[in-house]
Amino acid sequence: MKDLYTMKESNLKMKDQLREESPFPWIQYVTSCYQCQKCTSGCTSMKHLELKPHEVVKLVNMGLIDELLESETIWTCTECLKCWERCPQGAAPVNLILSLRNLAVKGKAKLPENLLKTVSSLIEIGLIQREQRVPLKNLETVDREKLNLPKLVYPSEEFKGILLSMLEEVF
Amino acid sequence: MKSLAVYWGCYILTSQYQYELSLRETMPKLGVKLIDVEEATCCGFLLESIDKFASTYLAIRNLSLAEKISKDLLTPCNGCYLSLSEALHRWRVEESTRSKIASLLRDENLFFKGELRVYHAVNFLHDSLGLRKISEAVVNPLNNLKLATHPGCHILRPSEIVSADDPENPRKLDELVEALGAETINYPGKLDCCGGPLLSLQPEKSYLISSRKINELERIGVDGLVVSCPICFKMFDSQDVIRRVAGGKASLPVVYYTQLLGLALGFKPDTLGLNLNQSPVEKLTSKISC
Ligand code: SF4
Ligand code: SF4
Repeated sequence: MKDLYTMKESNLKMKDQLREESPFPWIQYVTSCYQCQKCTSGCTSMKHLELKPHEVVKLVNMGLIDELLESETIWTCTECLKCWERCPQGAAPVNLILSLRNLAVKGKAKLPENLLKTVSSLIEIGLIQREQRVPLKNLETVDREKLNLPKLVYPSEEFKGILLSMLEEVF
Repeated sequence: MKSLAVYWGCYILTSQYQYELSLRETMPKLGVKLIDVEEATCCGFLLESIDKFASTYLAIRNLSLAEKISKDLLTPCNGCYLSLSEALHRWRVEESTRSKIASLLRDENLFFKGELRVYHAVNFLHDSLGLRKISEAVVNPLNNLKLATHPGCHILRPSEIVSADDPENPRKLDELVEALGAETINYPGKLDCCGGPLLSLQPEKSYLISSRKINELERIGVDGLVVSCPICFKMFDSQDVIRRVAGGKASLPVVYYTQLLGLALGFKPDTLGLNLNQSPVEKLTSKISC
């Protein structure tokens, strides 16, 4: 089978692999999707960005996974989880979308720059960003110390080592 | 005094200081002692898009640090609440996840029993502490205010994992606001997402999403929007960005529930970090005596 718009070939083996090896246990039900479109009708990103979760599910079930891995579609979900809550078949498209993101990362997809910044901060200090100075109404900026908030205790070097080796395997 | 562990997540500790200030000020007044989970890391939420296993590991590691302190854990962030709850759920039902993560924890001399309870600020205040206790502590009732609440997504869905409130008709945050004397409204977009998780992927589009709710509420006419999550707060409070990205004249006070609670308990606005909110909160505070 071929997608006549993109000329991509279907790969059903890849679909089985995705289902069996996904670290998101909920995606095993994607094959029960009966295309009722309840997910899409309430989708936050459908309203704003034209993400159609039922189409993502359909493409996966047709084995057109490469096509999705290369598309921006999987990076526009806001994770509002309405489709997870409301899907009558337990197919929960959001888990499929996140699963495809994980697969795209492994396949060396180009990641959004801000996401990469977050990851490097995580590896350095365990948090997604450093302590920021924030503006008061009069535009003076303040930090934790100035606001009398307790000094943060950051995770140990051991932890950083564990996380780093875990993420090195991914990237 | 009831004591419980508090896990703040990244956003509050590194930038949303007004949520931290207002929770630290108000809880002791209600007889609650908070003990910080030290050496905590990100809950794993943002790693979910990159590697789900690493994300679950981070969540469980934080839970194991909390378990050393208390049987009950409070987190004020919606995103963290879901990450921690989902990881705990998986720890309990998935043998393979449990054994892989347990062995990583051992490298840091950590051990996790998996017996603690995770609360979000909303269900802790509403269910565990109770509305009566809160309204009895009010010294400065907020009678003149008509407010909208934004419950957010991750404390409601999926209801098979998180159960802070009814997934389709959440009322707890409204009832908490009403306990302070203010009025709340129902509005069509109440269940809509703030767009926050898109911030690190597609920043402009994420503010386009948050602008819809702000503009809807400006049309309806309320004194302010009450939120209970640092990510949602940032998305709605940054109204200079909303005006730039989506046009319109966004100018709606946005406050954390704990800031509102603090005002009703008699604290001064600056003590609660209201001078850190970027939205025009003086429009709201000028309607009450504080
Ligand atoms: S994923 Fe669920 S809600 Fe969406 S079309 Fe399929 S069955 Fe319907
Ligand atoms: S979680 Fe994503 S795909 Fe599902 S309804 Fe929300 S935005 Fe749409």
